[in-house]
Amino acid sequence: MKLYLSIDDTDDIESKGTGEIAEEIAEIIDENKIGKISAVTRHQLYIHDDIPYTSHNSSMCFEIDEVNEKDYDLIISLAENHLKKESSKLSDPGLCICDINKIDSKLLIEYGFKAKSEVLTKEYAYALAENQNIFLKEYGGTGDGIIGALAGIGLRLSGNDGRFKGKHKIKNGKYELEYLINNFKMDKIYDITTEKYLKNNSINLEGKIKTVLLDGKRVLPVFNENGNYYNCTKQQLRKY
Amino acid sequence: MFEYINDHKIFKYGLNNYEMSRIAAKNCINFKADHEYEQVDSELISCYNCIYRRWKSKTIECMKNASKLI
Repeated sequence: MKLYLSIDDTDDIESKGTGEIAEEIAEIIDENKIGKISAVTRHQLYIHDDIPYTSHNSSMCFEIDEVNEKDYDLIISLAENHLKKESSKLSDPGLCICDINKIDSKLLIEYGFKAKSEVLTKEYAYALAENQNIFLKEYGGTGDGIIGALAGIGLRLSGNDGRFKGKHKIKNGKYELEYLINNFKMDKIYDITTEKYLKNNSINLEGKIKTVLLDGKRVLPVFNENGNYYNCTKQQLRKY
Repeated sequence: MFEYINDHKIFKYGLNNYEMSRIAAKNCINFKADHEYEQVDSELISCYNCIYRRWKSKTIECMKNASKLI
């Protein structure tokens, strides 16, 4: 089985972040050797005054591949135990887990992008989850986190949304594209100026090196200035 | 930098004025960086990166109970 796991609305201003909790759940699954986990992506949802998010309205998602069917319930149990333990008492946590080979991904992707531009309801999210036999559950507060948790799965599934949590530890300097792809967790390098993937170029890296989910791959976005390529700034990465 | 609208402390310069966001944060004793993955400005000290900001459709709101405007 290949599962996607997403969480949302687990934090408040002073508590541990949703990204950290997602990463910890991934680590627990990894430690139990019940699936091959991927990196966590952060997905921006709709910014609207009617949505009671804490400060940014984003959800976190990761993949769990090579899961034995007998471990499915264990994964749910480990994830919900950790979520219950680590979520802020002031939050409205939601957890979503689904087997991507048993769902209509088009419906989930459509829902994910809707959650970036519309105010959605819990009823709508639960109806879609039930229809697709997806695990979707709330853990206190208003439980509104289920809306974003389900959206996180759809957006990750789209392959074209979100930034990967964390940054690459690479010293400032000039690197060949091939060296970066062979030695760091990045599949491709994308020029945001021409909107094309680079093939044989040198890249100047400086500051925080962040990757995004593009065309289903982990991609390093770069920009061209006077013929030289540089990794994108946080301002430039904001749209992902 | 901020104005009160219906008791909400609203940033006057919208979503993309990084310069003013940095100036405001440098003059604020309450600035506290949000988690790295929620930051959107390469300069750390910026209201856009602050854990106390709440994104709104056209600007940000400061959620810290500041006693005076900056």
